[in-house]
Amino acid sequence: MADSDTLTTTREAAALDVPWNVLVHDDPVNLMGYVTWVLMKIFGYEDKRAAVLMLQVHQLGRSVVWTGQREKAEFYVQQLQAHQLQTSLERAS
Amino acid sequence: MKIMPTREGGLRINAEEAGDWRLLQGIPTDALSWDEKLARRLGKLITDEATAADWKDYVIPDLEAGFSAEVGHVTSAITAARFEAGGGPGALQIAREDGFQWYSTLNQARLALEERFHFGTHDTIDPASLQPVPRAAFLRSHLYCAIQGMLLEHVL
Repeated sequence: MADSDTLTTTREAAALDVPWNVLVHDDPVNLMGYVTWVLMKIFGYEDKRAAVLMLQVHQLGRSVVWTGQREKAEFYVQQLQAHQLQTSLERAS
Repeated sequence: MKIMPTREGGLRINAEEAGDWRLLQGIPTDALSWDEKLARRLGKLITDEATAADWKDYVIPDLEAGFSAEVGHVTSAITAARFEAGGGPGALQIAREDGFQWYSTLNQARLALEERFHFGTHDTIDPASLQPVPRAAFLRSHLYCAIQGMLLEHVL
């Protein structure tokens, strides 16, 4: 029993340590200027950085706009979706 | 219809005839026109099992409430301005602090039209090649996009 508890705790701790990516996906509706504005507003990015990420979304179909702790990643995805951006999260490889 | 920035940092839309009010009232109508709500469509992007369950229970209802409140705000603003103008020539003011609600509602309308008609990017479509219903929807989407452009440039 004690061994099992230890194993479970270790696995959970390891899972929590894995960073998560916040992704924005391209769509035909959201304007490029708006995507840049939203990234600046939510993450506090400077316009140049936000514009680079927006161009990645536009040209590559998606961009990792933030990486970090899972709970915060979920919060950011919610914020981005509230701004109607196509957004998802995935474990960082 | 004429749209112009105001000195106070907002926009003013001059409706010149009854048809302009009908066009403006199309914004919330289009925003609500797709059966599957936007928050649920966005929620489908969350594929991690544990997160998806939380999303369904907590986040999607929150997002739905927010989107719905934005459409409600714009509906009330258009209805009030139209009433004041007696359905004829008149002005609709978008205050700076209301800019995001307007942008969001216009976006919801364009996203719903995209779900229905799959226009893709505007520059690849020749409206003359479309049937009457999608052509009218395309032109409305184009108008909404133009208002969004002005909101981005002058208000947000």
